[in-house]
Amino acid sequence: MRRWTAGELILLGALAAEVLLFSAIARNFFTLGNFFEIVRLSVELGLLAIALTPVIVAGGIDLSVGSMMGLAAVLFGAAYHEWGFSIAGSAAVAIAAGAAGGALNAWLVARLNVPPLIVTLGTFSLFRGIAEGLTQGAVNYTDFPAHFLWFGQGYLWGVVPTQLPLFAIVLAAYAVLLHRSVAGRAWYVIGFTPAGARYAGIPVERRVGTLYLLSGIISSIAAIVYVAHLGQAKSDAGTGYELDAITAVVLGGTSVFGGRGTVYGTVLGLFALAVLRNGLHLAALPSELAGVLTGTLLIATIAIDRLRAATLGAPRREASPGTGEGAGEVDVRNSQVAVLCATIVAGSLIVAGTNVWLVRSLRSPGGPAAAAGPSFTGTPARRPVIAMMPKAKGDPYFVSCRVGAEEAAQELGVDLIWDGPTSLDAARQNELVENWITRKVDVIAVAVENRGGISSVLRKARSRGIRVLTWDADAEPDARDFFVNQATAEGIGNTLTDEAARLLGGKGEFAIITGALSAANQNEWIAFIKKRLAEKYPNLKLATIRPSDDDRDKAFAETQTIMRVFPNVKLVMAISAPAVPGSAEAVRQANRRDVNVIGLSLPNMNKPYVHDGWVQTVVLWNTKDLGYLTVLAGSLLTQNRITPSTTSFEAGRLGAIQIRGTEIVLGAPVMFTKANIDKFNF
Amino acid sequence: MGRRREFTLLFVIAALAIVLAAAAPGYFARENLSDLFLANMPVLVVALGTTLVILTGNIDISVGSVFAICSIVAGVVAKTSGSIALASVAACSVGAALGALNGSLVAYLRMPSIVVTLATMVALRDALRWWTQGAWVQDLPRGFQWFGLPQSAYPIVACVVVIVLQSFTAWIMRNVAAGRAVYATGSNEDAARLAGLGIARVKLAVFVAAGAFTGVAALVNSVRFNQIPSNAGIGLEMKVIAAAIVGGAAVRGGEGSFTGTLLGVVLLGMIGPALTFLGVSAYWERTLQGAIILAAIAVDAIRERRSYHAAIAAGPSAGASGELRAGPA
Repeated sequence: MRRWTAGELILLGALAAEVLLFSAIARNFFTLGNFFEIVRLSVELGLLAIALTPVIVAGGIDLSVGSMMGLAAVLFGAAYHEWGFSIAGSAAVAIAAGAAGGALNAWLVARLNVPPLIVTLGTFSLFRGIAEGLTQGAVNYTDFPAHFLWFGQGYLWGVVPTQLPLFAIVLAAYAVLLHRSVAGRAWYVIGFTPAGARYAGIPVERRVGTLYLLSGIISSIAAIVYVAHLGQAKSDAGTGYELDAITAVVLGGTSVFGGRGTVYGTVLGLFALAVLRNGLHLAALPSELAGVLTGTLLIATIAIDRLRAATLGAPRREASPGTGEGAGEVDVRNSQVAVLCATIVAGSLIVAGTNVWLVRSLRSPGGPAAAAGPSFTGTPARRPVIAMMPKAKGDPYFVSCRVGAEEAAQELGVDLIWDGPTSLDAARQNELVENWITRKVDVIAVAVENRGGISSVLRKARSRGIRVLTWDADAEPDARDFFVNQATAEGIGNTLTDEAARLLGGKGEFAIITGALSAANQNEWIAFIKKRLAEKYPNLKLATIRPSDDDRDKAFAETQTIMRVFPNVKLVMAISAPAVPGSAEAVRQANRRDVNVIGLSLPNMNKPYVHDGWVQTVVLWNTKDLGYLTVLAGSLLTQNRITPSTTSFEAGRLGAIQIRGTEIVLGAPVMFTKANIDKFNF
Repeated sequence: MGRRREFTLLFVIAALAIVLAAAAPGYFARENLSDLFLANMPVLVVALGTTLVILTGNIDISVGSVFAICSIVAGVVAKTSGSIALASVAACSVGAALGALNGSLVAYLRMPSIVVTLATMVALRDALRWWTQGAWVQDLPRGFQWFGLPQSAYPIVACVVVIVLQSFTAWIMRNVAAGRAVYATGSNEDAARLAGLGIARVKLAVFVAAGAFTGVAALVNSVRFNQIPSNAGIGLEMKVIAAAIVGGAAVRGGEGSFTGTLLGVVLLGMIGPALTFLGVSAYWERTLQGAIILAAIAVDAIRERRSYHAAIAAGPSAGASGELRAGPA
């Protein structure tokens, strides 16, 4: 039995503290089912982190793993759906791509001796770029066979996630490779002193090359697991995973200077992060805390490790290339340090947790007065819990939806949990729904980022007796009870196109500024815009589509370029909320009175431009009402007051609301113009 | 030897310029160049700070989050106090303070900079999200946009700011003991310490400088608009690190120049719009960007490898392995 190193003990302490804390404050956290769920959600990230451990041990880095996942996922989907491969054949294609990408990294790093940070920064763009280019950002491969999806979503013996054995195998293989093999020793030596390794007769080039090759292959395997888990293959798979994986590795005690670290530590680091995220969700604390606490945990762990090294008078550079040998120190101190660390981390978690709770309880005083609404007197014993998820939390659009949702929650006396990914991320949405199922909320309402991916987990929620709503964007119809529909993609596409045609007099050129190139909603609208053009406006020409990545400044720069390259473009249609003011500012600064700007955005950020005539029309629905209606519908669902046979219901301040089939219809989109924009405040 | 990367870059930039001149002469219109300059100026200012950090053998990936925080701080201060001067001071000092946080952890706790700044990147970004709840800063005072100057005057002001910062930093690095200490720390930390340099102070100083530069960049970027988004600077760290590294800064420290960084920013900044001018679909842009970076680096590496072998063949004293290079000669 190997001995735990001090760093691992510290981390173990932190992990134990997390488990203790969340067992106390989070509902259904300390259950077997939840622990397996945590494992399932960490497999993709875990594979990357395990593959990265020896890379970092050998003094390198691989930033391209997340992008490689995107590329491998897209190739897997294309191979299965377009090139007629079987699942096994497609997997082989994906893994071959991973090997090729890994080999490219290996060649540049090992052969040409270029620093790995530069190389993988380049391939980070390259791989994601190829994935986006191949699919034009838009193609989303779904409809994989059930036996393949079972591999990502099913259970062995009713409780063990199916991908767990694969994870265990890879972990075991890497443990043997890194800790029990000649190559593993070589990686430690290379990380500790590359020149020394060369003088010792180690084939440095080959050993380092192997690392990057393996990391490419493991990334593609992670991509296959990801596709099976989410049921979709799209070019944005694995975005940002490289940083999460590096965080797990570093938290696990691997030194970024090389020469020190273990895969066991990495696994501990991985679970410290995963448990933190899971616990926060189950305790209904906001997701933003996860980032803040991850950062704190990272600094605290490493700082304590460093302080310990300093107090023990260890040499400044890591003592030894091995794992355990450096820890020839007194054991008592290690445990003392571990206890100290655990106390500090637990303390900070408790302080942060209680603060947030305090703030939350102050913000939503669900007093009995609020609960006793005029017509909605529910059971006084237990307030229903409605968990509502936006696509991205920080997005001003969803922030304004939240205002309406909170208002309805107050009025009706229900508890509202509002949480979601901090940026667009289909995998995070699934994770959160899983956590809410574990928490046993009454209603889950999701603004769906990825239709195929989330439907299976929503079905699972329904099978456990949770009422499911979708809002803003729909899932598969059988995966939810009702869809709160603000406007269809077709309606939006047609409204925007008609408005453009009206402003341009039916002929001329226009350009579209979209969000991210792979954004599903925007791509759907663009498809309907193109369709409408072909059907109704043959003289209207779409000159170009440019991405803004939901960044105001990028939309600004793209609009400037468009006006130069396409002088005939007389209208810019921006279909991402921050892009409309960005485009408007560009037109204003260029003083191009002949260029119109229209788009999909929020009234407040566009008011100055609408009043000065730079933006002609902003199309949107009343987002506050959308949030209000969703919570209201959720509350009625818990009382069984709307059923599939209901055709309309009374919705508080919104008046009568229509239900068509299983769609609750908010009403037509609003066109904000100079005349009416001041009446809206969101 | 040390200038090789800069020549490679100049060559690539010139080649791209020739292609553009032939295919899309509109690219070189005065307004377009002015727009391009304004769009990339914040990147350049941040990249100067990042280069300083990289020169000491460290890295700062928290600049994107710091950039966002400084932008919001500038806006909030301008709005509440109505004073642009106060907002400028606030943005720079918040940047410097966050830099000092990174720097002291790196310098005095001897934590690896990539870990520290990874932690602050994530923590600061989420803290900002929590604080602003995604809301933009709107209704800024009248004098905020372009510092109250006419629109046509602002590029000149920005140009002066950039030239002053760039040449002042470059001059210090070349001619002042403190600047040489940065190179010395980066090329051989132990030797620098034994030579009596205060390594910790040097490291702290470069992080504070990087933070302050990020604050300046956030400020000069924010004043180009009349409202401030809360999600600014996402991915900025990748841009500036790519620029500095493509510009020849060595991640192990001690090697790199501000001219190189400038050229790196120019190259990376001109590619995107250039591809639009050349009619490349947006969907293939990232591929080409990655390919151009990799190609430039691979060419460089192959050449270096060749000259290394040539030097070995020439004799042991040629010293082409470049272990003890100390910045721009």
